[in-house]
Amino acid sequence: MATPRATFIAGAALLAVFAIPAPAAEAPRDRGEYLFRAAGCDGCHTDEKNKGPALAGGPALKTAFGTFYAPNITPDPVHGIGRWSEADFIRALREGVSPAGEHYYPAFPYTSYTRLTDADLRALWGYLRRRQPVAQASTPHELPWYLRARPLMTVWKMFFFSPGQYAPRPDKDATWNRGAYLAESVVHCGECHTPRNLLGAARRDKHFAGTRAGPEDSVVPNITPDKKTGIGRWRKNEIAGYLDSGMTPDGDAAGDLMAEVIDRSTSLLTRADREAIASYLLSLPPVENVVRKKKPKGKDEFGF
Amino acid sequence: MTRLSMPKLLTLGALALLGAAAHAEGDPEDVIKYRQNVMKANGAHAAAAGAIIQGKVGYKKDLADHAKALAAINRDVAALFPKGSDFGDTNALDGVWSKRANFEKRARDAQAKSDAFAKVVATGDAKSYGPKFKELVDSCKACHKDYRKEEK
Repeated sequence: MATPRATFIAGAALLAVFAIPAPAAEAPRDRGEYLFRAAGCDGCHTDEKNKGPALAGGPALKTAFGTFYAPNITPDPVHGIGRWSEADFIRALREGVSPAGEHYYPAFPYTSYTRLTDADLRALWGYLRRRQPVAQASTPHELPWYLRARPLMTVWKMFFFSPGQYAPRPDKDATWNRGAYLAESVVHCGECHTPRNLLGAARRDKHFAGTRAGPEDSVVPNITPDKKTGIGRWRKNEIAGYLDSGMTPDGDAAGDLMAEVIDRSTSLLTRADREAIASYLLSLPPVENVVRKKKPKGKDEFGF
Repeated sequence: MTRLSMPKLLTLGALALLGAAAHAEGDPEDVIKYRQNVMKANGAHAAAAGAIIQGKVGYKKDLADHAKALAAINRDVAALFPKGSDFGDTNALDGVWSKRANFEKRARDAQAKSDAFAKVVATGDAKSYGPKFKELVDSCKACHKDYRKEEK
């Protein structure tokens, strides 16, 4: 008969095996393409509204720190990333550094992508290599003078950036770890849903708690399970359903930036992955944070 | 008293008519409030229909009522956004007015999709409820994506 200690060790080993974030059983044939969709690369790198060529450079992204233009990431050798090596690519996403050693601004969400596993980064790289090269110059960012010096980012990173791939939590099950990996890294929910401090770094005390200062002047809702100000009243299948169809439990249809995220990313995930994200969100510590405008007191919708 | 020539009279008359048309729907703030309530009803019927289709609740015999309401509300959504109702407490984006033709195309799409949904429900074609309902929600989302700002 096994001792309790042996049983515990065997159990822990089993957990550790299951806890590695793995693609769902119904994952599509091309892992790189799946990750590419999930990570929403084309959302920033393709100027869809102006019918720009795929991945040849994105539309303006207006933020509190300036206007950013995601560059050309097609395999074009001059304007794109055609001369990059796989190691260059992994370094760019893991460490936020270009092959020339320049630091990226965190408008490029390497703060989340750093948690991608090596295997997933390689799959993503493989997919990008197979895209159509486009010879189109990238648009430079429009930043205030005090942010133009990229070496400043060295200091920023010392304070606010800890590179490294996702480490599964052994005390949580595989679904939770998969959800955490997707939400925190691949789908990078927090890049919009977590408010930033004055220096543009995520506020850990308000993780996923929403902000009134989102990109493109948008108000980004609180997606922690707080009952009053977050999504604590949503059920798991309602969240997973929303990420698929865009319909909230109230029957409202998503709009603006989130409609894009749903169209280009979350609706293309497997159902199991959407459910994993939903479970993970509901497992977060609820944060009370009002971001929606308050209705004037004394009168309701009908003016009574 | 100056006598007005016929062309002038006609022009004045036309202008008066135009002015009346612009204000026919009411004070802009009231129009905004009205359309928000109508759109809220739109969402409420969609949520109710969705709950029935997904089998979360029974009320199967009421599905047709929700489908008919959705078709009625979506008959002319563009009309809820008359000129002059772009200021004030609204999340509607400028494109509603500046890219009117495309906006109206989206509104007609919602009309077509809500009609198609009501039709399959009326004929009892249960297999099509889900797909047709999804097409309607997609239509709502497509319009909100370009023409509605996340709550200010």
